[in-house]
Amino acid sequence: MFGSLATWVPCLFLLALAMKFWMEPKGYRLRFATLKLILAAVALAGIFFSYGSLKGVAPGVSLLVVLMSLKILEAHTAREFQVMVMMAWVLCLCGFFLSQDFAIALCLLAAFALLLVALIQFHRGSSPGSFWSPLSATCKLLAQAAPLVVLLFLLFPRINTGFRFEILDARSATSGFPGRLSPGSIASLANSSDIAFRAEFPDSRTRPPGAMYWRGIVMWHCEGMEWRGPYAPTPIPHSSRLGAPGGRALPAQSSNGKAIRQRITLAPHGAHWMFALDRPFEAPPGATLANGNYLWSVPPIRKVRRYQVSSSPEITEKELQPHERQAALKLPASISPAVRDLAQSWTAQNSNPRATVNNALQFFRTNGFRYSLSPGEYKKNDLDEFLFHRRVGFCEHYAASFATLMRVAGIPARVVVGYLGGEYNDLGRFFLVRQADTHAWCEVWLPDSGWTRVDPTSAVAPGRASLDLNSFLERRTASGEMETRRSAFVTELTRSAIFTNVRLAWEAVSYEWDTRLLGFDADVQEALLASAGIANRGSFFLITEILVVAAALLVIYAGWMQLRTRSRSDRVKALYERFCRKAAHLGARRDAWEGPSDFSRRAAQLLPKESERIRQISNTYIALRYSPKSATIILDRFAKEVSAFAAHSRR
Amino acid sequence: MKERKFSFVYPTASFAGLLFVLAVMWYAASSQNSPAVYLLLFALIAVFLVSIPHTLINLADVTIVLESVKPAFAGQEVSLSVEVMNRSRATRHGINLALAGSGRERKRIDHIPGGKAARVTLRFPARQRGEHKIGTLCLTSAYPLGFVRVLKKFAASQTYLVYPKPAGDLQLPLGRARAPHSRPQADIGEGDDFAGVRPYVTGESQRHIDWKAVARGQPLMTKQFAAEAEDFVRLDFSAFHLADVEDRLSQLALWVIEAERTRRPYGLRLPGTEILPAVGQSHFQQCLRALSLFQ
Repeated sequence: MFGSLATWVPCLFLLALAMKFWMEPKGYRLRFATLKLILAAVALAGIFFSYGSLKGVAPGVSLLVVLMSLKILEAHTAREFQVMVMMAWVLCLCGFFLSQDFAIALCLLAAFALLLVALIQFHRGSSPGSFWSPLSATCKLLAQAAPLVVLLFLLFPRINTGFRFEILDARSATSGFPGRLSPGSIASLANSSDIAFRAEFPDSRTRPPGAMYWRGIVMWHCEGMEWRGPYAPTPIPHSSRLGAPGGRALPAQSSNGKAIRQRITLAPHGAHWMFALDRPFEAPPGATLANGNYLWSVPPIRKVRRYQVSSSPEITEKELQPHERQAALKLPASISPAVRDLAQSWTAQNSNPRATVNNALQFFRTNGFRYSLSPGEYKKNDLDEFLFHRRVGFCEHYAASFATLMRVAGIPARVVVGYLGGEYNDLGRFFLVRQADTHAWCEVWLPDSGWTRVDPTSAVAPGRASLDLNSFLERRTASGEMETRRSAFVTELTRSAIFTNVRLAWEAVSYEWDTRLLGFDADVQEALLASAGIANRGSFFLITEILVVAAALLVIYAGWMQLRTRSRSDRVKALYERFCRKAAHLGARRDAWEGPSDFSRRAAQLLPKESERIRQISNTYIALRYSPKSATIILDRFAKEVSAFAAHSRR
Repeated sequence: MKERKFSFVYPTASFAGLLFVLAVMWYAASSQNSPAVYLLLFALIAVFLVSIPHTLINLADVTIVLESVKPAFAGQEVSLSVEVMNRSRATRHGINLALAGSGRERKRIDHIPGGKAARVTLRFPARQRGEHKIGTLCLTSAYPLGFVRVLKKFAASQTYLVYPKPAGDLQLPLGRARAPHSRPQADIGEGDDFAGVRPYVTGESQRHIDWKAVARGQPLMTKQFAAEAEDFVRLDFSAFHLADVEDRLSQLALWVIEAERTRRPYGLRLPGTEILPAVGQSHFQQCLRALSLFQ
């Protein structure tokens, strides 16, 4: 989180804290107004210098942190302490602006709770027990607040203020996923454990069989070893859409395809990519289905986005439009004669495109190509060097070169970049796909089957397609085929069952946070209220409802706490007084000077019917009141007797 | 000590700050439509709301027992010893005790364990002579979070005395002002004529203690001698001339103190009141009380 702040800002904060520890016992304090102003101006200048502007989230948060540091040096009175705690709560809020990751959220909520501990300890003053007691007081407070939080979270109307300000615009750099395929662009992600997205399959409880190719972007533009997608995607024309009148049939109705529904929780990446298994055929709201059957979000994705999408393993397009064919065959001028000769040698053997594809795959399989995370640097047009000399590459090298070769051989081809595989989480029943699983593969146009997926990497590294990258690499490492990336100890540790289970559990909880909590926005709330049948009653009704429940809860808490902390002797006295009131109601009024045994004697005479009960109650009272040891059980019995007294007499 | 039936809960100054923070959070949450920020906002609201009964309960079953207040001279400090009793079983924290209308005087008690009491002394300046009501004692507490404060009032029926400020520059009227009808007595000065015993008063010279009686197991007694008994001072309100009544009372108070210090029997005559000559603490207090209550 603090990665988005200039390094000196958090350092200054820690320094101020340390200074405070040193200054406080000596009575030093930041006292002079001019000095404070100068320091604030210096801080402001520092922030301006570091960020180049004072606008935006990071400078704003930095400013708050710096002012907080100064406040720490200055603060002395009780009110200032209170102000500091409140400023720190605002800083927690700012933390959520920078990231809403589960780990960060946990830290921020812990900080929120620790601030409560600090506040309570501050008000406790010199009371004994300086850490555990305020902590337990905080826990009690939080436990009692929990039902209210749930109530507020579910029901409090999420009024839209209308003035939206874009807070996360500072994050403009796309994280991970490349918009342009060049040698090394995917290999550089192989060590990233950042989460790309998580996917659930609501219709099946287990993972769907087969390799999972998550489609991200389709690249048409070839520059040899480099490929790139369109700057702005062209949407699939409405008429040719699936299910549309005059368009193609829905795969669910077609013979070979079966629609797979997915619910995808996409981590924010600041760009427009959206992912779906195989081939999505419908765009979720806020996205378009681009030419090439991939999804493209209209607004950039700056916070966790959930969407549901259906896709089918195969979509058979029967025809390739002439302009598409032209685009899918376009080659750069820089293709060398050697490459052309290679491609022509395949077509010469057999003009069937399928045979050409197989020849090409055979070429990769048999000519000593190696799959490696660190294939070394390739220059822009070094298709020749890759194909004929070094023959070491990662998936992007194979996909790019294969697609280029196909185009040279006259087969329409395109590159698809997305993710391959993913880790299945049994606890949360979802797939977790990391940036490391980024993959590139090809699609070629075959007249009989339309656009067909060909993954040249699987020719070189068989088995990769059925695993996520990390598992694949670990197997390879274990069998000695791959260079180790980590020390043996770390590898051993990460492979151990406990570690794996803890990690899976953490990921499952983190997924719940992202989907259930972060997914619960105004729209979801509206749907929930609608299903409960109270959506149309308006926010005034809801707020009133919440207030009533909250007030009732507070009264219950107060009563419960008072009952729990009331001393026993008070309770005995109260019960006896209740008994006396009841007796007075029946006609035996106790005089103020009358002792319990005297009163019992007199009341028994006045109320002969109740004499036994009166004697019993009085004896218990005397025992409770005056005997040195009286067990709680007697008190409870006493309470029962007193309540039974009137009940009996009323009958 | 009468306890008002209700405790008041009212927001403190920092509550305004809290409202501001909540407003900022709400604005951020609603403009971002961000559930995480909403969670933080609601957590803060809920914790604040839940802290109200905690604050309220913090003074439940806490009462005040007042001890009798020692009189003070005007211009000095009155010290009011108060016992704050926690009759509940839980420990109470952060209780403030203040006297209504006595300015800034407040005492803080950090904690009182269940069933225990804490003793606090409130000090405030004694301004005017006379008998004053203690008035209302207030217990307040902002524990645990300090955004609301609970106030519990106790109306005290006790009063305290403020003696006139001892001042003036007239000499103690030492004249052998013998009562006109009194029997003439031997004038032996520091003589040895034993005239009887009276109870010992702290501060008196030990020379005159009847040590033999002490040895017999009797309480401390002071031997009185004839010479002493005769040599008394009569302090008369109308026997000297000062324009202001308060000045006169101040002068008389000073004389009472001086006479008591020198252990010289003194009597006080005020219009409508006459206190016969004697010496000792109770007499001393009686005289000052008469001066204090003088109309």
